Amino acid sequence: MRKIWVVIRREFIEKVRNKWFIISTMLGPLLMASFVVLPILLAEKGASERRIAVLDVGTDNFAGRLTDVLNGPVPVDATLMHVDLVDLEAVADSLTAAVGTKELDGYLIISDAAIDDGEVEYRGSNVSSPADMQVLEQVVRQAVLAERLDRAGVDPLVVAQAQGGMRMRTTNIRGGELTDESGATTFVLAYGVWMLLYMSILLYGVQVMGAVVEEKTSRVIEVLVSSLRPFQLLAGKVVGVGAVGLFQLLIWGVSAWVLFQKRDAVLGLLGIEATGSQGFSLPGISLAAVAIVLVYFLLGYFLYAAMFAAVAAMSNSEAEARQAQTPVVMLLVIPSVLMLGILQQPDGSMAVALSLIPFCSPIAMPVRWAAATVPAGEMVASVAILAVTLWLVIWIAARIYRVGILMHGKRPTPKELIRWVKAA
Amino acid sequence: MSNDIVIEIQGITKRFAGHTAVKKLSMNVPRGSIYGLLGPNGAGKTTTIRMIMNIIVPDEGRISLFGIPGTGRDLSQHIGYLPEERGLYRKMKVLDLVVFLAEVKGVPRREAKRQAKSWLERLGLADWMQKRVNDLSKGMQQKVQFISTVLHAPELLILDEPFSGFDPVNTQLMKDVVVELARGGATVLFSTHIMEQAEKLCDSVCIIALGQKVLDGPMTEVKRQHGGRHVILAVDDGGVELQRILADRSLVEKADDYRKYAEVELAPNADPQRLLEEIVRSGARVSRFEIAEPTLNKIFVDLVGPEAATARAEEDWGDA
Repeated sequence: MRKIWVVIRREFIEKVRNKWFIISTMLGPLLMASFVVLPILLAEKGASERRIAVLDVGTDNFAGRLTDVLNGPVPVDATLMHVDLVDLEAVADSLTAAVGTKELDGYLIISDAAIDDGEVEYRGSNVSSPADMQVLEQVVRQAVLAERLDRAGVDPLVVAQAQGGMRMRTTNIRGGELTDESGATTFVLAYGVWMLLYMSILLYGVQVMGAVVEEKTSRVIEVLVSSLRPFQLLAGKVVGVGAVGLFQLLIWGVSAWVLFQKRDAVLGLLGIEATGSQGFSLPGISLAAVAIVLVYFLLGYFLYAAMFAAVAAMSNSEAEARQAQTPVVMLLVIPSVLMLGILQQPDGSMAVALSLIPFCSPIAMPVRWAAATVPAGEMVASVAILAVTLWLVIWIAARIYRVGILMHGKRPTPKELIRWVKAA
Repeated sequence: MSNDIVIEIQGITKRFAGHTAVKKLSMNVPRGSIYGLLGPNGAGKTTTIRMIMNIIVPDEGRISLFGIPGTGRDLSQHIGYLPEERGLYRKMKVLDLVVFLAEVKGVPRREAKRQAKSWLERLGLADWMQKRVNDLSKGMQQKVQFISTVLHAPELLILDEPFSGFDPVNTQLMKDVVVELARGGATVLFSTHIMEQAEKLCDSVCIIALGQKVLDGPMTEVKRQHGGRHVILAVDDGGVELQRILADRSLVEKADDYRKYAEVELAPNADPQRLLEEIVRSGARVSRFEIAEPTLNKIFVDLVGPEAATARAEEDWGDA
């Protein structure tokens, strides 16, 4: 036990002292800060006006009325231009050139077909921005609708009333109780849980692999296994790197919490007016959430770290290990790829299956839990299956590790691997 | 099981996928001796040492260290092991690394630090303690490696090909330390395929080839049994009497007689002491009487055969 402790301490101290640890630890909160600041910055940028021209080739000045609407509270600066149909292409060409020199963001072509057939054309440099197009299309659609109703003799007041907005508020129900989380917050929570688990399991698992390969390639391994049982070495290494991971997560967790608490101050520093109600509310992070993420992080990390260690023990170099790790990484990628599916139907059969399959559950279950209520029975089953698998994987990985760390030369075939595992 | 036997090996066999690396090997390393495990490349020396260290487990047979069976790793505090495959954590600071390697053997941290500093100072690395291993020259790294082998004043030193890969200065330094530790009562087992070194250092040897023991025993015994049959003789006046003695087939197998000088090959079981006695009795004045010992190398080549003595291609386990 004392020897394992010595290995853990070395692993922890060497990793924490490493400049990459310091850099990544500092980068984390910076990244988080940018998650807070960026959406607001983007929102402000989105509010900057788009300059567009409205080309009117119609006959009844619908374009004129549309231009007035566009110059209303919408973030668009519209200029009306009347053009004869014969000149349209020539004028359009010159406007296209203007868009090219960024004098203009784009131009809208309005003909009589807008009202008759619902056909409008917009050409511009911002057509790939869903936000811009959504605003523009909505304004044009409402204007067309109003124009058509007006022509049908409907009272403009009624039209205005009919166009009054509507908003649906969503609130998450968890465990039969209303929470103060909106749909967006729930999504953000689930997304955050996914990011955290995927990144940390992969990052620290790969670090274990690197550490094992380093010992193997530097040949320090032989001295080590003359004083340590391979299992002591493996356990010390995995726990040591895991401790580094928890330490880093703790630093990030605390700084994220502080950032959210002092969000207004941070924004104030950057000269941005904080509008409290605009940002989404921080999801209530309960003790249960922390516990579940922690349990699944630890189980998942140990599961993957053991596999990465076995992969490293089979390889002769860093490059070879990177190649051999692909199947292990794929196991982790599967639940990530299917994450949207889990979020859309947290109680669907796919989500339930993924949260029970041991190699997916470390990510799938916490994400599912963040998105919806998970029956206690399923949770217990998921942890139990994961724990049993973990025990099995560690048993196999330790055996591969024990033989592999002293092997140099060609990579073992699957048949040889089975022999390694069987060897007493 | 005598406690005077530090390493006791009984009939160990180790098979790998393609071949048998060690076959029914038995040997005893007496306390306080410098014991050479000799053999050509691929003879099974490293495999044997790894089994002694409990890094790999023999398929058959038993190994006891200090009279306790199969516990190389648990006794690491008493053993200094220098493997053939040598390496260090390149990014660690020298002092931290040496302390870590001692702690892993079971040396308490405080003691490990004290010893590490004293050894680093002794071998001239005092200024490098806080440097990273990477920043050290190859020779300095070798010193660090060696320090981590002897720092805990082990009762048993196991050195696998200690003299290959080290530069001449370090080889000398290491030899001095090994001899010093042996004088202090430590038992040393080392493997080599270079017979000249073994000849100078060893009290006892075990020669193995193709995984099997060819011979073992104290060096003098080995030399006596496998040689010691040559006498170089010089007399002031070689007369008829001398010729008669040299013709005695119960005493002399073959003689290269130069009248005043002769190279004699003794008959089987003949005692050189009796030859000297006969010559002195004949009245000849002996100016030189030397039992020419065969070199260990000659014994080795005679026993193992030139084809086995040459390097064999290393197998996948890299066992030399």
